[in-house]
Amino acid sequence: MAEVETRQRSSLLWAAGGVAVVVLLGALTRYLEQNVPVFTKGTWLGGIAKSVEYPVYAILLGLLGNAVLTGLGFRDRLAAGFRTEFFIKTGLVLLGASINFAVIVKAAGPAIAQAFLLITIVFGFTWWLGGKLGIDSKLRALLSSAVSICGVSAAIAAAGAVQARREQLAYTASMVIIFALPSIFLLPLAVDALGLSAPVAGAWIGGNIDTTAAVSAAGALVGEEALQIATIVKTTQNALLGVVAVALTAYFALKVERTGEAKVSGRALWERFPKFVLGFLAASVIATVFLESGGDKSAITTVNDLRTLFLILAFVSIGLEFRVAPLREAGWKPIGVFASATVVNLLVGLGLASLLFSGFTG
Amino acid sequence: MGTENEVDRERRTAWNEDWAATVVGLVLLGLVLAQIIPGWLVP
Repeated sequence: MAEVETRQRSSLLWAAGGVAVVVLLGALTRYLEQNVPVFTKGTWLGGIAKSVEYPVYAILLGLLGNAVLTGLGFRDRLAAGFRTEFFIKTGLVLLGASINFAVIVKAAGPAIAQAFLLITIVFGFTWWLGGKLGIDSKLRALLSSAVSICGVSAAIAAAGAVQARREQLAYTASMVIIFALPSIFLLPLAVDALGLSAPVAGAWIGGNIDTTAAVSAAGALVGEEALQIATIVKTTQNALLGVVAVALTAYFALKVERTGEAKVSGRALWERFPKFVLGFLAASVIATVFLESGGDKSAITTVNDLRTLFLILAFVSIGLEFRVAPLREAGWKPIGVFASATVVNLLVGLGLASLLFSGFTG
Repeated sequence: MGTENEVDRERRTAWNEDWAATVVGLVLLGLVLAQIIPGWLVP
């Protein structure tokens, strides 16, 4: 008993240490983001330093910290403190305050249409290709949910729905991050090359990059309006996660495992609904009412600074969480499925974003 | 058995983080709008 308690206390201390590492690297990110342009002003580096935004510093410092901690043998024990999901969701709730509720209402129609079509097409394609290549149906469910809905959190929900194994979840989560990291930088470059408008760029990024934290990083690199639309689109996808998880539970119970026990109830839907979506909407309503009733605009600037701090912590955590090891064990087939699904997602996503958001004005 | 428990635990943590993020985000928003957290305090 005492041994269990000591072990629990020790893992809690390591988790607190993990959070401290994230905060430290986050503070360093903020310092570099604010001061490097000042230090390099007037030198040949000045132009580059000015255009490097905080997601770049945060992710690079996270990856650097990851390498150092792995080298020292501490990384895995500290990992419980790398809470990407908590940091990003808190950041997104705060982001809700910078979006006028009317914009959310206006974007809801195309965002729901895009999310519904993208999830259906990309989930269907991944499921079909996984089946063709003979991938285990639980891993297929995880891969399809992760690539079509919202990355790691969708994989966690799907893993619960289909009773997947721990290794399958770890594997899918690693794949999500490995594919998300380059897309944070490549999609903004593609947006520039294709000359996309901010709403189309945001909708493409939001519908495309799997994990919500990476969507925010790429959106922030393109600009504030793209970040807002990307968040609305991604949040809509997140909201549909509950529906897919419940459908998967029913499908596996009735068709795959044939237990005949399918729990499809309103309660199951509510349990799997990502609650931060409500926080995001509430923050938008509160801030809109606050400003419409003559509230101080500078308060929203402070909320935006707080939001940036949480996003920085999330981006640092992405870098710290990055792991290649689980991928080596599963072979090339699931990677091939995930890569193909990502390409389909990119193309269909670009088509839908251009179609649904080309005339959008906030 | 053990592996299923671990996935369940991961799922529970995700739901808890969901609520925690919502509450923390809204409380911070409330504190800033009520001017309890002033602008200069946020780096």
